[in-house]
Amino acid sequence: MMVRIRHTSSNQSFLLPTLSRSAVFLLLGLSVLFALPTSGLAQTKRLVIVKCDGLSQDMVDKFVRERDPRTGKSQLPWMDHIFYQRGTRLANFYVRGMSLSAPSWSMLETGQHLQIKGNVEYDRYTLQTYDYLNFIPFFIARIGGVRVDMPAVEVLDSVGMPMLTDAFAHNERHVGMGLFQRGGRLITFQKSLENKFKRPPKELFDEWTMGLDVRDSVPDQLLRDVLAKLGDSQFRYVELMIQDFDHVGHHNNDRESHRFVLKHIDSVVGRIWTEIQKTPQADETAFILVSDHGFNTDERVYSQGYNLVKLLGSPSGGGHHVVTKRRLMLEYSLKSIYPLVPIITTTTRDSYYLKGQSTDYPTALLDFDGNERASIHLRDSDLNLLHILLLHLRRNDLRPELRRALGGKFFETIDSRRAGWKKTLDELNEELDSLRRRIEVQRSLWAAQPKKFSKEELAAGRDDETKRVFAQLDRWTGQNKRYTEYARILSNLLSLRPESFEPSKLKIAEVIAKNGMGERNSIYKLQNYVVDVAPTGFVLRSDGELDMQKSFLRLNYFSLLNGVAVRNNVQKGIANQPVDMIATRIPSHSVSSLSADRDIKPDVVWVYGGPDKQALILAREDARGRLSFRYQPVKNLTQDPDGRMRFEPLPWQPGLPLRIFEDENFSIPAADREAWLSEWHTDAEWLGALHKTEYSNGLIGLYEELAHHQAERLSLDESGITNDERLARRFVNRQRELIETDLLIVANNHWNFDVRGFNPGGNHGSFFRISTHSTFMVAGGKKTQVPEALMVVQPYDSLSFVPTILALMGNLRDDSNPLAILWDKGFRRFPGPVVKEILPTPQDKQRIAVTGVDSSP
Amino acid sequence: MKTSKVYIAVAPNRQSDHGIRGHLGCLFLSVVILLASSFVSLAQSAAEQGRNAITPPASSGEIFRLERLPIEGGAELVTIHARLEGLRDTERENWIPLVSVLRDTLGDLNPENDRLRYVWPLTYTRPTLKQRIAGAVPFLYTRMGNKKPAVEKSPPPVMDLAAPERQVWEKLFWTALKNVLLDGYGMPIKASSDSYRRNISDYRKSHIIRALSVLSLYQSMKGPSAFSDSEMAEIQARLLLTDKTFGGLVDDLQLQGYYQRKLTGSRDERAHNWELLRQRVEEESLYFEPLPMPDGSATHALVWVAKPDLVDKRGQHYKGRFLNISSPWDDKRLIDWKGYVETRYFDSDNRPVPSNTEGARSVEMIPLALYGLDNPKIPMLLVDFRDSLNPKKREMSRRILQDVTRNVLSVSQFGNLSYFLGRTIFDHVTGKRGMDINQPSRLRTYAQLKLLLTLNESLEPKLRDEIDDRLEKISLNPLENDLDVEAKLARSQYQALIAYAQREDGLAAKLDRDRRSEMVPLKHDKKEQVLFRAANILSLGLYTHREEATPEMEAKLDVARRLAYHTKFLRQVAKSTPQIEVVWNLEEIRRSLHFIAEHAEGANSAVASTAAKIFMQTEDNEIRRSCLDSLSRMNTRKARNELLRLSEDKRIDPTWKELISEHLSKTKPDGSLAASANKTSTNRVEQR
Repeated sequence: MMVRIRHTSSNQSFLLPTLSRSAVFLLLGLSVLFALPTSGLAQTKRLVIVKCDGLSQDMVDKFVRERDPRTGKSQLPWMDHIFYQRGTRLANFYVRGMSLSAPSWSMLETGQHLQIKGNVEYDRYTLQTYDYLNFIPFFIARIGGVRVDMPAVEVLDSVGMPMLTDAFAHNERHVGMGLFQRGGRLITFQKSLENKFKRPPKELFDEWTMGLDVRDSVPDQLLRDVLAKLGDSQFRYVELMIQDFDHVGHHNNDRESHRFVLKHIDSVVGRIWTEIQKTPQADETAFILVSDHGFNTDERVYSQGYNLVKLLGSPSGGGHHVVTKRRLMLEYSLKSIYPLVPIITTTTRDSYYLKGQSTDYPTALLDFDGNERASIHLRDSDLNLLHILLLHLRRNDLRPELRRALGGKFFETIDSRRAGWKKTLDELNEELDSLRRRIEVQRSLWAAQPKKFSKEELAAGRDDETKRVFAQLDRWTGQNKRYTEYARILSNLLSLRPESFEPSKLKIAEVIAKNGMGERNSIYKLQNYVVDVAPTGFVLRSDGELDMQKSFLRLNYFSLLNGVAVRNNVQKGIANQPVDMIATRIPSHSVSSLSADRDIKPDVVWVYGGPDKQALILAREDARGRLSFRYQPVKNLTQDPDGRMRFEPLPWQPGLPLRIFEDENFSIPAADREAWLSEWHTDAEWLGALHKTEYSNGLIGLYEELAHHQAERLSLDESGITNDERLARRFVNRQRELIETDLLIVANNHWNFDVRGFNPGGNHGSFFRISTHSTFMVAGGKKTQVPEALMVVQPYDSLSFVPTILALMGNLRDDSNPLAILWDKGFRRFPGPVVKEILPTPQDKQRIAVTGVDSSP
Repeated sequence: MKTSKVYIAVAPNRQSDHGIRGHLGCLFLSVVILLASSFVSLAQSAAEQGRNAITPPASSGEIFRLERLPIEGGAELVTIHARLEGLRDTERENWIPLVSVLRDTLGDLNPENDRLRYVWPLTYTRPTLKQRIAGAVPFLYTRMGNKKPAVEKSPPPVMDLAAPERQVWEKLFWTALKNVLLDGYGMPIKASSDSYRRNISDYRKSHIIRALSVLSLYQSMKGPSAFSDSEMAEIQARLLLTDKTFGGLVDDLQLQGYYQRKLTGSRDERAHNWELLRQRVEEESLYFEPLPMPDGSATHALVWVAKPDLVDKRGQHYKGRFLNISSPWDDKRLIDWKGYVETRYFDSDNRPVPSNTEGARSVEMIPLALYGLDNPKIPMLLVDFRDSLNPKKREMSRRILQDVTRNVLSVSQFGNLSYFLGRTIFDHVTGKRGMDINQPSRLRTYAQLKLLLTLNESLEPKLRDEIDDRLEKISLNPLENDLDVEAKLARSQYQALIAYAQREDGLAAKLDRDRRSEMVPLKHDKKEQVLFRAANILSLGLYTHREEATPEMEAKLDVARRLAYHTKFLRQVAKSTPQIEVVWNLEEIRRSLHFIAEHAEGANSAVASTAAKIFMQTEDNEIRRSCLDSLSRMNTRKARNELLRLSEDKRIDPTWKELISEHLSKTKPDGSLAASANKTSTNRVEQR
């Protein structure tokens, strides 16, 4: 018997042998079963990501929900249409760490713990500056062929952390013009100008009449580039960076300005979405909108700036010459138009002992970006002491007993540091020897590189790869020069001997490095920071030794900064004290009495909110690499000169740093809070309990920002690596440690530390929820199976972004580990959880990567 | 003629509890005059939410009132009145008319054929002969008396919103005339004519600013709607564009964006200056006091010094940069200060508090200076309590520089490359250095200050008087009148305007003439229009061709205006988004397309490409059909080409292509010349 079956989808018919009715049904059932794994399988094969600097989730949500009175549609109709109606949005997505662009994007790019800790970082030994935000020097170096990638990318490369974009081949990805730009497209600038003027004459005339705005031309061109790439099927990763909201948000706090800029972003999102829908890959494309932080802006108040540079330069602040990455706006200097200068030194006329030497001996380095926080390096207090002593020892009018006492103290100080400095020096010399060997190899490699490339090679990025060989050589050469010089001077200092010591013949610059901060200060030093000889002069004890307490003018930076107050307090609800809290990292062994646990991680974060309002944040890690934290309230933490910490534990109470206990939005019932807060909890548990409080995930964020996070690929314990490789890794680890600041200063609400300009509209950088609350929304074509109209209320932080995206594309072996093909590219286990709500249900999950590989080592 | 008035009162966000008496009342005149367009939306949000820096006080009573006066022939005169609490003259409950706008409605309720026409800032008046003569005297930087407030002639409008391009041509015409006829007679004539034109222009500009301010403040108070949002944006943008030489030629579609940019920019400047001044004041150990407007936004700030500090900080290093006043720390006048002193109270957090606050400490304070915050780069010094001439000298620096270069040295930026470069560098350097010389005029901030003085209840009356006295001395323009007189002028001119509106040969007749001029393109082709224009110019305006207002022509005018309305709307839609149903209300688009289709013979060529664009930007079948319908009914070459283009577009489904072909077949290959002529004429109406 033959049965004629019409295949409705194809409109074709064919004959099958005659079967019983049940057999037909069986066949149909089987065919459906077989069809499932293919047609029902989630397939995200292309990513389109719009990255919005500073786009606050609260702001987006507010305007999406608001209706335009004329149209009756949302004020942000495209975001409503795409993400609210057809996609999934995370209602509680937070920055992990500071709400600051460079660190935050680094986590969103890598899915790994923070390695980049500020928008600018300074190397304490050499004053090498990592300015992650300054595009102009990068593009000039790009033109000169000296650099290929933005500084942030170079740093991530050096620590072996690939970015999400690295999961795609060069010719499959289109990277936006952001801080983590791998390779820069100079053609964008040329095209932007061409297209600016390639418009109907009337439009041009109107724009000229209203004021020609060439600043829009590059962003417009970037959008055109993205739209063009969407039409090219070979591109599987396309991104666009939009910085408009951050820019406007800093300057304006009014609703209308925010609405205008959001509507512009909304229209860009709409254009991209529409373009995606026109492509054959639309069904397999996931469209993502993500931001790096929220924004602390309030229509009712202007954000007030406090000038830490002035404070540090003042006599009460230590009389420091202060290094920043940009000029102070208040100076209104003509020099500010020169963008290539790597550092700016603000000279103080109140310097105690370094007058006129600001360019040689700055003693404070300040990163104020984000503006609700600032990070400060202070020169090693012992170097100050030695410097002051040397200056006095070079005088001819010293009494012999005073000279003897000063000389004695000079060598006593060196001896007290000798072991540590000697170790550093030895290790550094080892690392530099290794570096020199690698430089030779690299030089040969560079010499062997091809100088011409075929069209195919250019498309594959071979030219950039070649230039990276040179860029690496250039970087290493510079590092070798700078660290060698530092080592030489440190060696000179250590080689000084009392018997041959002739201070008058000594060049200070030969024993105390110019532009060097030396080692990071201990708590003791920060509480007793030497800034000059006491106003009463040197005081000798009865035994003829120098009385160290009476002889020197010292500052306690914790109480100094915490006690700063202003006389003009004109806005309601704003404190007259700009500083909210000060935080720094201390070694866990110094507070080991606090916990019986033996597996506490080596770093503890100390948060100072006043002498009797302090906290210690302790961390530990379980076998699966999951972090747990404990918050211990303390007071009166001090450190002895010998390193011993003293403090008094406090019971839980209101007013402690992060104000958790009293926060109405803390999810633990009031009666249970003390008990709950006194225990260890995983980061997920803390996030769940705290995320709606005023400081949100600040507890986790402080640890993320201040603790060291060993990059897996820089592990010294890995078996099979050569000695040079081990030294190279140690050297990179050292460089990352050398950017660690002494203090993180966090501003009170509606205060900021910006000195580059004025940001009265609003700021970010703090751990306030309003600043850390970011945007993460996804929508996709049918095959991606991204849920529609879903709001995820479960809190997540930025560690989840990359693993979630890779999981969506089927590139994770499980919830944490990349497939082999990505492993080979340097990807490693991701510490953050994936946002499971976005992913297709398990049975629909794609089992293999789009690359066809399904396992990892 | 029917002259019933409709009054609509607007409650303020705040209102002074105690009346502001005396001469300050008239300040309000200029007062309201003032509000810069820039703080409109700050005000809105403040009204909604309340503020600090920007805190609106509790309100009671009304501050604005809207009056609509129907005009015979189908129009209305919309006037915004404000209540001036401080007026000496208490007649009419201190209500002062401030701005009137004529809306030509063609006598119906359909807003689609409405046309906004004239704007009258009612303080803007024709200068007296004496004022005009003084205005023509070069380097005369002072006021020269007042105009008598009794005015019988209707006030001059500052612009015709329906013909913004007119001011461009007038400006060019006068510039050419001056260059050709006057400049040849030597420096005195040249300087005199320049000075006169400059003063006239500044005088008009200051009243445009006042009109903008009044409209903005009214809008921010969220009173009964006088104008739709788009009308308000159009009015404000058009008024703002009067600053630009070719501003009147800017396309209507650009107005919303321009207004938004200006708004954002001005708020940026204000916030920047607020913060700059606060930081500088803090650094110099002085006291900063922002002065809020009625909507809560701070447009000005006072700087004080504490009397005890004069002793404690004597000889302290002082950096006068940005503050632009002399050091208080070595000023003997302050030690023995005879001027205004006020006792202020502060709590332990240095927050200003009422005197009866427990634990409050009292501090005797001396005002040093008052600054305007709505300026580029740096706060602008408006009052120096120790040196009244200080701000005037700074304002004059700008005028002198311009007058000397232009009138004495006869160089201009556009005619002399060296001067252009030198001036550019000079402006850049002074700007970068934040120097308060050659800054933009203080005109706007002065106007705002006057408003603030009237409305800010935190200022002590004596301090207001001190500020007011100093303000009057600063004006540089001989054509300006003082505040008292302006208040009276406003009333008087409004009466004259009403009388003009009620006369048979008055506003209604003018409206009729305007409409008949507007009808010309509906009847004549482009060549004929050029001839009429030439005749108008050659007769120095004595001859103006107008059509006869027959019912048929009136109907045509109605259709033309509505076509212009729908065309503008559809252009806006097409330009705004790649997929219109996501962003727009489809019903509104459908309605516009239907209207275009029904009156396709009068639609201009721009609408053809717009309809084709909308067709491509929607998936809504009905909208698509309406687009095709409109295109086929237009029956022009352009429309046919658009249909052809669509029929060849590979992205379009075959089903739709069939439909397009059907519509294409309905059109005639060559279109019709008559239709083309109509396109031109409608286009002309649309542009006006």
